[in-house]
Amino acid sequence: MSVYIFHVLIMMGIYAILALSLNIIVGFAGLVSLGHAAFFGIGAYVSGLLMINGLGFPAAFFLSGIITSLLGLCLALPSLRVKDDYLAIVTLGFGIIIGLVFLNLEITGGADGLVGIPPVSLMGKPLYSKPGFFGLVAGVLVVMIVTMYTLKQSKIGRAWAAIRDNDVSAAFMGINVYGYKTMAFITSSFWAGLAGSLYAHYTAYINPHTFNMHTSIMVLSMVVLGGIGSITGSILGAVLLILLPEILRPLADYQDIFYGALLVAMMIFRPQGIMGRVKITEMFGRKK
Amino acid sequence: MLIQQLINGLVSGCVYALVALGYTMIFGILGIVNFAQGEIYMFGAFTAVLTLAATGNIWLASAAGIAVACVLGVLLERIAFRPLRGMHPLIPLISAIGASIFLSSLARLLFGPEDRAFPFEFHPSSFYFYGAQINQLQLAIIAVSVGLMAILTLFLNMTKHGKAIIAVAMDSDAARLSGINVNRAYEITFLLGSALSGAAGIMMAIYYNSTSPSMGLLPGLKGFSAAILGGVGSIPGAIIGGLVLGIAENLGAAYISSSFKDAFAFIALVLVLILLPRGIMGSRK
Repeated sequence: MSVYIFHVLIMMGIYAILALSLNIIVGFAGLVSLGHAAFFGIGAYVSGLLMINGLGFPAAFFLSGIITSLLGLCLALPSLRVKDDYLAIVTLGFGIIIGLVFLNLEITGGADGLVGIPPVSLMGKPLYSKPGFFGLVAGVLVVMIVTMYTLKQSKIGRAWAAIRDNDVSAAFMGINVYGYKTMAFITSSFWAGLAGSLYAHYTAYINPHTFNMHTSIMVLSMVVLGGIGSITGSILGAVLLILLPEILRPLADYQDIFYGALLVAMMIFRPQGIMGRVKITEMFGRKK
Repeated sequence: MLIQQLINGLVSGCVYALVALGYTMIFGILGIVNFAQGEIYMFGAFTAVLTLAATGNIWLASAAGIAVACVLGVLLERIAFRPLRGMHPLIPLISAIGASIFLSSLARLLFGPEDRAFPFEFHPSSFYFYGAQINQLQLAIIAVSVGLMAILTLFLNMTKHGKAIIAVAMDSDAARLSGINVNRAYEITFLLGSALSGAAGIMMAIYYNSTSPSMGLLPGLKGFSAAILGGVGSIPGAIIGGLVLGIAENLGAAYISSSFKDAFAFIALVLVLILLPRGIMGSRK
């Protein structure tokens, strides 16, 4: 039972990192991405392939982030020429193209996926225990949350907020809109790649199916459900959407119907997300 | 070979164009992307299959399929979109995705997860045209699609309701002030878009002789791409976008690699958007 609980916790942690990374694009910079699972997948495949070919864990982990962010740059350069719904469909197309690449390349194992990915090893010892792995995921998550808060307050974060609120006036104030938007994609894909790496070494087996459009949509739902732009919200969104299928499991075949209906109901009754504009620091902070 | 691929592309292009018209009209008037369009396409096809199995009348089956698609479209507008008007654009997008998950899993429960053949035997005779084999079914699909597009264009430009839709798309506040029932215009838009998607679904179910709960996913996405490709909100744009996408996809599959068939539509889309960021017929509000 505790193994199961830790499994769910690890999944929540990995998806929380993924949702937070998407929140940089959607919440901080006000852009849209419907192909986020592609970055998740690239990180997973790169890290898995590097470790199968003999690289150690920390190196493979960071390289997967860096290589994914390079691909983020490759996506951002052409696609940030378009905006809004056009950007949504271009990123969606990118996700589908990358999915087909995973499915058809020889090196990724095609539809069978990548088998036998070595486990994470720290200080030369492989990390097999679930609580141990959860510790690693939680550590990465904490580093990410701190980075996100720092980023939000920094010059970059304020530039993103200005672009999100009104890109024309942001450009008027001398902000390099295209450059900062590209930076949002690079930062976001870096963290998504790290999440992918963690996922690959946790499950030891990956296939193209995990990184399809449904995952992109689920991650976007986590961000919107939690409250666009809210850091605590994205984490809460990830926790809820991972927990929901586990809770709905007794409903078996009716699971997806409830999931879909819940998304619609949530948007109708609480469109600002669970957290909305409420900040968790204010909820527990001093009240005047 | 080339002519054959062009004709195959024209057939799937016509179907993408029909789906794209739904997207483009709904986007043009409401500014939202109806992600559940592919599911309406699928429900239209399934209703036709079931009605046909029960009655044996292909015309009745088609009418029933299109009617169910219309009802679903109007319900969708009422439940999933109307309460969300004027909110952050991501909110209706997620709502539409939720509706799409709901409808496709409902279909899996109602119809079962497996593929179903179309319960009607077509024996289309084919003829040769400059070395390309064309059958009557392909011609019929092209003819019906062109007919539906013509009817839609006439409806929008000639009738009172059609003109009301165009007025609301231009400026909904001004339209309301002139006494146009804006909600009625939204409903009719959803009704028309869904009818076209339903018809497209039925034709594809006949053409490929298969229906399954996930059959709407890719045509839905490609219809959406076609709408964007042509320039969202533009009726001729959606038609041209659909045809370009269908032909590009078939040529790519034939001459480059068939396992990347679905990617070519999106590669074409990305290329066009980089060159023409507003789409082919792009004149956006």
